[in-house]
Amino acid sequence: MKNIKLLVMLFLAVLFASCESKTYDEIGAKVLNPTYVANIAPIVSNKCLSCHVTGNEFPTLETYAQVKDATQNGNVICRIDTQSCGNVMPQTGRMDQGTIDLIKLWATNGYVNQ
Amino acid sequence: MNFKKFCSFLALIYVSFSFGQDDLFKELDTIKSDKKEIETAAFKALQIATMQSTKLPVKGDWYFLVAHRFGDLSKGFDNFFGFDNALTKLGGIYGATNWLSLSLSRHTYNKTYEVGVKYKLANQEVEGFPVTIVGYNTLDINSELSKDIYPNLEFSQRMAYSTQLLISRKFSEIFSAQVASIYVHKNLYEATSDLKSTFLLGGGGRYKITKRMSINLEYAARLKVPKEDTLNSNPLTLGLDIETGGHVFQLVFSNSQPMNDISVFTNANGDWTKGKVYFGFNLYRVF
Repeated sequence: MKNIKLLVMLFLAVLFASCESKTYDEIGAKVLNPTYVANIAPIVSNKCLSCHVTGNEFPTLETYAQVKDATQNGNVICRIDTQSCGNVMPQTGRMDQGTIDLIKLWATNGYVNQ
Repeated sequence: MNFKKFCSFLALIYVSFSFGQDDLFKELDTIKSDKKEIETAAFKALQIATMQSTKLPVKGDWYFLVAHRFGDLSKGFDNFFGFDNALTKLGGIYGATNWLSLSLSRHTYNKTYEVGVKYKLANQEVEGFPVTIVGYNTLDINSELSKDIYPNLEFSQRMAYSTQLLISRKFSEIFSAQVASIYVHKNLYEATSDLKSTFLLGGGGRYKITKRMSINLEYAARLKVPKEDTLNSNPLTLGLDIETGGHVFQLVFSNSQPMNDISVFTNANGDWTKGKVYFGFNLYRVF
């Protein structure tokens, strides 16, 4: 019983010790000229490739050409941003606005590869 | 239990958790030795629908929990009314004592791990103390964040907390109600559509329609909403409890697809008025 009380107190102490909050913008990279290799590929690999690989969900997003095509001619931007054309992607939760804006910027700048 | 004691409970929770522990446990002891009969639980399940109820597992009980929230119903056959896009919660809850339970769950949403502690501060008594008071704390760890995308990420930013005070009253065999005050703190938040700290006032109720079924409803209002927040709504959830032997099966319609409390309370992105509602269920198995 004593131990449990101690555990509870420790847990509460951890909970109530307020930590400094940061925004996604503050921990993200500030990139003005995003490229596929440096900026987009890590996001795609982290957020999309658990499903969008060969033989799994459409569209496949493994290469530069595939990601460019899906963004330019498919509805990638719409699916990750506005939710007006289907459930938001990725399924595990809408990405933060900074990341979404980065992908949009990459598209606006003409899909720079590297 | 008089009014003064009741107030001291509230004060303890909000002001002096770390300093008031001894008093708190003394209070608990007084309740336990009280001869008055404790009212049977106001809620049959540990959750009203998405929000926690004031029910705790009894000492030594293990609960295994599976919950799903399927995709947005308004998309129709495009995602087969949501079945293509399910979020899952898997978890376990352990009743350490009759007044304390510990839980751990894993959520698809943001690959979140949620640790929860639920503790009973007072029991509703037959012709005695009028309400059951329960505290509930959750700690979320977002395991999806990656240094590849967020180079300045530190571990503490993966964490978010909720502190909840739940007060329920069983008015009759068929009707129970609960009010909740909720505080959510995030170590990482969206600059425009989110706040680092959010207070909410919530409420919920249970209305029994047959011996083994009840209709539940819950709502929580954020006291402050970011100006540019067009993504999130206040969580409104409708549930149907079905009791079958060792299970309580809860069917749920909610405007929040994620099931971790922090997301439910601050990032419910559905919209009841547009039919953007998520169907799902909670299934508990008691061991």
